[in-house]
Amino acid sequence: MNEQKVAIFTLCAALLVPAPRELAAQLVSKVEASQYTVSEGGLPVTALRFAPTVQFELPHATFSARGSAFLSEQSLQLADGIVSGTFTSPTVYGVHAEMIGNASRAVDERSLGTDQVDVQTRVHMNFREHAGMWFGGGVARPWRVGVVSSADVTDAGAWTKFGSATSSFGSATITATFTNFSFTKVASVHDSGSASLSCASSAPATGAADVTLRAYFSESATSSACERQSRFNDLETSMHWEVGFIEVNAATGYRFGDSYDVTPDSRRWTTAAATIWLNDRIAIVGGGGRQPALPLRGLPARSYGMAGLEFAPWPISKGAVPVSLPHSVLVKSFEHKQAPAGLQKIIIHVGGVESVEVMGDFSDWSPLVVARKGRDLWELSIPMSPGSHQINVRVDGGQWMAPPGIPVMHDSFGGDVGLLVVRPVAGEPIR
Amino acid sequence: MISHSSRPSPRRLAAIVLGAAMVLLRGGSLTAQDVDPLSKLDPSSKFTVQLLIDSAETAKLPASALMSKALEGIYKKIDSRKIVEVVRKELALLREARQALGPVSDEELKAGADVLWAGGKPQQLAAFRIRQKGRNDLEAFVVWADLITRGVSSEDASSAITKLWQDGADDATFHSLWSAIQTDISSGLNPGAALQNRIRETPGRVPPKITPPEGPQENTSSR
Repeated sequence: MNEQKVAIFTLCAALLVPAPRELAAQLVSKVEASQYTVSEGGLPVTALRFAPTVQFELPHATFSARGSAFLSEQSLQLADGIVSGTFTSPTVYGVHAEMIGNASRAVDERSLGTDQVDVQTRVHMNFREHAGMWFGGGVARPWRVGVVSSADVTDAGAWTKFGSATSSFGSATITATFTNFSFTKVASVHDSGSASLSCASSAPATGAADVTLRAYFSESATSSACERQSRFNDLETSMHWEVGFIEVNAATGYRFGDSYDVTPDSRRWTTAAATIWLNDRIAIVGGGGRQPALPLRGLPARSYGMAGLEFAPWPISKGAVPVSLPHSVLVKSFEHKQAPAGLQKIIIHVGGVESVEVMGDFSDWSPLVVARKGRDLWELSIPMSPGSHQINVRVDGGQWMAPPGIPVMHDSFGGDVGLLVVRPVAGEPIR
Repeated sequence: MISHSSRPSPRRLAAIVLGAAMVLLRGGSLTAQDVDPLSKLDPSSKFTVQLLIDSAETAKLPASALMSKALEGIYKKIDSRKIVEVVRKELALLREARQALGPVSDEELKAGADVLWAGGKPQQLAAFRIRQKGRNDLEAFVVWADLITRGVSSEDASSAITKLWQDGADDATFHSLWSAIQTDISSGLNPGAALQNRIRETPGRVPPKITPPEGPQENTSSR
């Protein structure tokens, strides 16, 4: 376990080291330190939980790593860790494909630990960035879970988004997901005394006779093991709501399947968590609920509660909230500088938004889309003649406003415009 | 034999393709030319705006400024009558700026009109009529318009900017004055007090040798 402790602490420490600006622009990272109470039917177990997360975003790929470790009674235990890679195809007519690969480890005191590798492909259809649906499938291969074979996973879902980051209601995304797990359970016929599953002992404790319980399985040709084709379906609805400096995540679900595959304590679950950003780097987090069992990982259903702090060494954008309010200062910074070929490069920092546009006399007041270059970095290079120019900026299709950090004046129509002075290149006159 | 005579020769085929391409290209250019940016105004307002633009061209004032105001109103979904009112006022301010500043570049004229929009007075602008050759007042005008917009009185803003200008301040000086005032305002200082504080700290300069303007200049970019 020493290596795992070192890995978690190294990741936590690495997240606190500032990265070069160009790298940090693509990076999302946070460390959560919270008091965690887990109950699995017996007495609650309370521990201090450290959960580092790091994510690196590229235009068509995202790589992430996260983990968690518990510190209780002076002993640190790795709880889980996951490394993911997601590759996304370009969007054509609102359709894009996604390929996801995960490698994860989950550690439980009793089952000692399981590993899993899974690969999934999905096809997404977006409708004007405010709604979408997807379907897909893949394979999950658990290791060190002797009783479960590879699982086929198919899923489909739909989502819709209301509001925007600039509205007083904020924005909310509601997602509904249906996931089917299909796998083979393998059990020993005779060995009912070991920790592994046996045909006789593994069925639910209903008090029925062994003969009846054996009906769950079909014996294999070797007569030393029996198999059962298991299947269950999860239907889950989740909501993510961001308003001002508050984020709320909630999910509720129901598991379909027969009584052998789905234990009563995993039929229904509900979880909720709230994040209150004190500034763009520190947040208070709290939440709790019930998580269903993960049969592929050998993890039981559990209830939990947590409260703690989240530290984001670099400001978080996507999935988090820009704290700078009111909305007129939603744009954190605005710069313009000379670019090659007589262009002016406009650089805007604004987090947690989907689109940024500018317009001004240089574009004949036609809106120009600014390209996202990082998690909160947006850039546009445009031709601008030397002289004074008026400019407006807007985010997520909201109100046109004057960018921060440059002189402003009232426009003629009840709003404000920013004033840019473009200096001539040496030798070029201002006309 | 029949099939041979009905098949077009390569030369004929090339002519057909070339002809089709020309029709397509011509169609494309016609489409581009047909897009009138003022077509979103009602006919009466469009006619008035075009008359005002013609007047600006006749008076050798930058007509592009009037077109820009009209387009700004259109893209901001402003009522046509309000757009006409704004374009008319812009023409009047350009005339006043020309009268106050004399023969300056179109960009300086537009920046001068912006100062008048913000609340400056033509007689205050007239102090910038006499200038060192090659010096431009864009940065000074932009800072001036910003100060008035933020609540500094027209007189205070005018006297501060004019004094700096007459002391030979360059663009960097005006810009750093503006930045310092922003910092003060952000920390809660009244804009007028921030200006007074910062203008005292701005280093004085030896007044530059002033040369009178060399007669009327033609505004090459006026349409």
